[in-house]
Amino acid sequence: MEVFEAIKGRRSIRNFEDRPVGKEVLQRLIEAGIWAPSGGNAQTWRFIVITEKDMLKKMKMVSPGLLGNPPAVIVTCQDRKEAERKGGKLGVESVSVMDTAMAAQNIMLAAYALDLGACPIASFHKKGIQRLLRLPEEIFPQLLISVGYPKEVPNPLKRQTEGICFFEEYCG
Amino acid sequence: MDKASLEENTFELISYMIVSARNLLDEPSRYGPFRLVDAASRLVEILNRIGLRSERIEKIKSQIEVGKHSVMTSEEEFHGFLDSLVSSVIEEI
Repeated sequence: MEVFEAIKGRRSIRNFEDRPVGKEVLQRLIEAGIWAPSGGNAQTWRFIVITEKDMLKKMKMVSPGLLGNPPAVIVTCQDRKEAERKGGKLGVESVSVMDTAMAAQNIMLAAYALDLGACPIASFHKKGIQRLLRLPEEIFPQLLISVGYPKEVPNPLKRQTEGICFFEEYCG
Repeated sequence: MDKASLEENTFELISYMIVSARNLLDEPSRYGPFRLVDAASRLVEILNRIGLRSERIEKIKSQIEVGKHSVMTSEEEFHGFLDSLVSSVIEEI
């Protein structure tokens, strides 16, 4: 699939078919994630892939933004201890967070290329997810990505094009 | 639906509402009305599962499901959806 086709065709999917996503497919998504750029090549992202129904149900209880019933959720985390060790304050507060976001976008584009739907979710209780998944304190969840086969694909949202990009000089 | 399932479903809804209450302190203000109408829709689902159905409640739930996602697309549209939802409720009182 052509890159621009994926970038412009991807939508945030919140309604999924009741159909599981195979482990190999999910592994391919993670592969796409780990090929994202990483500041200082620190690669402090960590991914926890959840497909077990009971756990997904529990996660939904602490994740108001997790809508629909996705058959899989990728919990995209940063290893804060490693981020600090490798990148100092900048690493843990900024670079590592951006790295996980770039990995998440790769995952969602790859999902689209594989006929899957995905949605990034920031509305969840961080400590709640940490407790449910028994994550150590340094493994900090930044984004949930719901993954599944789309049941409904929303129309594209209008993109703002005016006043957001300036060449040579800011004229806002 | 047996009592245990009803308790579980109700607990899920309560969790959703309580966690939403906390998260909304840090989230965009328009998410508040979204979570409220979404919780109303989830409550109707539970009522359906225990066999409690009513035409007016079903009508409101359908209206919520059709319009709730406008929170992501257009502030104006979402506002209009809530106005129209309130009108529907008032008509049924």
